[in-house]
Amino acid sequence: MRTLTFFLICTAIGIGVFAAARLVDNDYLFFAGYVVLQYIVLATAWNILGGYTGYVNFGSAAFFALGAYATVFLHKALPLEISSLIVIDPLPIPVLIVIGAVISGFVGLGMGYLTLRLRGAFFAIATLALAVVLQTFITNWSFVGGARGAYVIRPNEIEPIGPYVQYLFLLMLALAVTALTVARFIERSRLGLGFAAIRDDELAAEASGVPTLKLKLIATTISGALMGMAGAPFPYYIGYLQPSSAFALDYAVNSIAMPMIGGTTSWVGPLIGAVLLGTLQQIATVTISSSVNLLIVGLLIVDCVIIAPTGILGLIEGRRTARDVVADPAVFALLFGINVIPIYFLHQEALTARPLEIIFWAVLIFLALARGRLIGQLWLITLPIVSAALSVVPGPPLQGLISILALVICLACGLLLRPREAATRSGTP
Amino acid sequence: MDVPFDLLVNALVAGLLLGAFYAAVTIGVSISFGMLDIVNIAHPGFIILGSYIAYIVNSRLGIDPILASIVMAPAFYALGALVYQVYYASFERYGQEALRGLAFFFGLLFVTEVTLILVFGVDYRYVEAAYIGPSVQIGIIDLPLRMLVPCLVALTLIGALQLFLSRSFLGRAIMAVAQDQLALQLMAASPTRIKRVAFALSIATTAIAGALLIVIQPVEPSIGREYIGRVFAICVLGGLGSLPGALIGAFLLGIVESFTASLPWLGPSWAPAVAFGFLLITLAVRPAGLFGR
Repeated sequence: MRTLTFFLICTAIGIGVFAAARLVDNDYLFFAGYVVLQYIVLATAWNILGGYTGYVNFGSAAFFALGAYATVFLHKALPLEISSLIVIDPLPIPVLIVIGAVISGFVGLGMGYLTLRLRGAFFAIATLALAVVLQTFITNWSFVGGARGAYVIRPNEIEPIGPYVQYLFLLMLALAVTALTVARFIERSRLGLGFAAIRDDELAAEASGVPTLKLKLIATTISGALMGMAGAPFPYYIGYLQPSSAFALDYAVNSIAMPMIGGTTSWVGPLIGAVLLGTLQQIATVTISSSVNLLIVGLLIVDCVIIAPTGILGLIEGRRTARDVVADPAVFALLFGINVIPIYFLHQEALTARPLEIIFWAVLIFLALARGRLIGQLWLITLPIVSAALSVVPGPPLQGLISILALVICLACGLLLRPREAATRSGTP
Repeated sequence: MDVPFDLLVNALVAGLLLGAFYAAVTIGVSISFGMLDIVNIAHPGFIILGSYIAYIVNSRLGIDPILASIVMAPAFYALGALVYQVYYASFERYGQEALRGLAFFFGLLFVTEVTLILVFGVDYRYVEAAYIGPSVQIGIIDLPLRMLVPCLVALTLIGALQLFLSRSFLGRAIMAVAQDQLALQLMAASPTRIKRVAFALSIATTAIAGALLIVIQPVEPSIGREYIGRVFAICVLGGLGSLPGALIGAFLLGIVESFTASLPWLGPSWAPAVAFGFLLITLAVRPAGLFGR
């Protein structure tokens, strides 16, 4: 019953969010919120396979795009007159979501079968290959628009809700609630235990009677279906769908980065990561340009995997593993040196980047503080503060100087990092 | 099946030339992923960095891009050593390299790419050299020098690396790391130091591969993404940790892509599907690759 309670609480929060957004009554809020919610679904879906089971999927975009293209196909095919009596009307979006989920779920199952023997990086490469193959098929399929893309005209209004974008937002909110409930349910069930066993040691799990084959297929199917669900309303949201936007690398990157940053072991992790990264990216898109999105994502991934080995969630909880892994302070210093250079260019680029920079550095200061507290080296917090100060030094004349200074810091730290023989640990026992 | 014979021959030759270039791009991943088990997804990012450095040197000083890249290779070697040091200190030392290491390199790829966009913009950049325009005609075969020169440089690079790995002491030590780290430790050698040399070497090759790339086609920062899949496909296709295997894998992929692009009933837009479909089948049927150990 506790899953039901959780679902009801989530639904209540969802209704609250929707009501609050209605109060502000700004269409842009719904457009931006839709994207963030979509990332919550994608990140949660990725985490079921990647975080719980330990299989890295680089092809999230493929499943997402399958859902989207199922919608485009049905949009083009319907209304269909089989005879004068039987006419199939255009389907409402909730039905399209279910269809998207079924199709992507089946492809996920197929991918599971195809890649059963592959582990680790090979599985990741296979999913990448699958995404490329699917993209090529869609690009060459002229019925759904081919490389030119397809228009899906979005109605302006829908009856009980009002503006159509609010309807889409509400649907995505429902999907996010569903995805989180599914993830939490899996996490606490026998299924989740099995997934965790596969992640920790597949051979040992197999030997102790865990049906690894079946569980992996279940994981790929559920994960794929959720991603397909997230994709199904997308053509209506964007209005004009082309393969390069449906298969955009952003989806693959974000759905990996968000759980990694938030924490992969729990349903809360992808939620934190998606809200944080999604919001930052929306701010970046509005204030500067969309290419800067990826810079923020890239820097945060690099920072988080080093400073917060178990994600933000792990840092907050003070998880043991995070305490065990006492990373070299020199690595931290190097990291902040690396952060300074791109952010410095960003700072020179535009005045509008200020809020973004402030949030970015605030996140880093929080990370350094939390990690420093965990490993008992609170002085680590000075590193992001110094970096932040360095990145705002004014004027192009200093540009080269700052870059060189940052590089010198990097190199000095690199020299500090000479390997210590005693610490060497090889993978084999 | 009325495809003209000379079209087929030219497609084959173009595929071989392209394949040699792909091999130069892959060779670094063959070392880092194949031998050291470091999933360096950021490899194409370093290649684009190499292209841009070749472009800067070429446009400012007018030096030949390939020559410039050979001069720059030591700097890339140092960069590689630094990256490995960070990777080792934060992931490998704790045996946590699998998922987080992957994410680390993924992030690195985007940081490189977007920094290049912020500095140079998204315009296509190209280099100038005497061999970029003309082509040589041998019978019915058309050999553009723009492809032929990179092909020869790539083959030399691979030959030299293969010679280094199989003949020199350090090269054999790298092969030993690939085979059994523990045994190496028991012989009082430090696998970390050897791995650092090997990884730095793999990054040094990207300087040259990047110059070859910008000779073959104009370059913009996000072009590296096209190579992520291709590079790992070749590496897996040929079998991990084998340079000749990578070369054969690269030739295969180059020929398949070139044939798909020139056959009238398929066309260039189908090339990725054929190449990656090939990879998927290889992975499903023979996960160790065609020439795996």
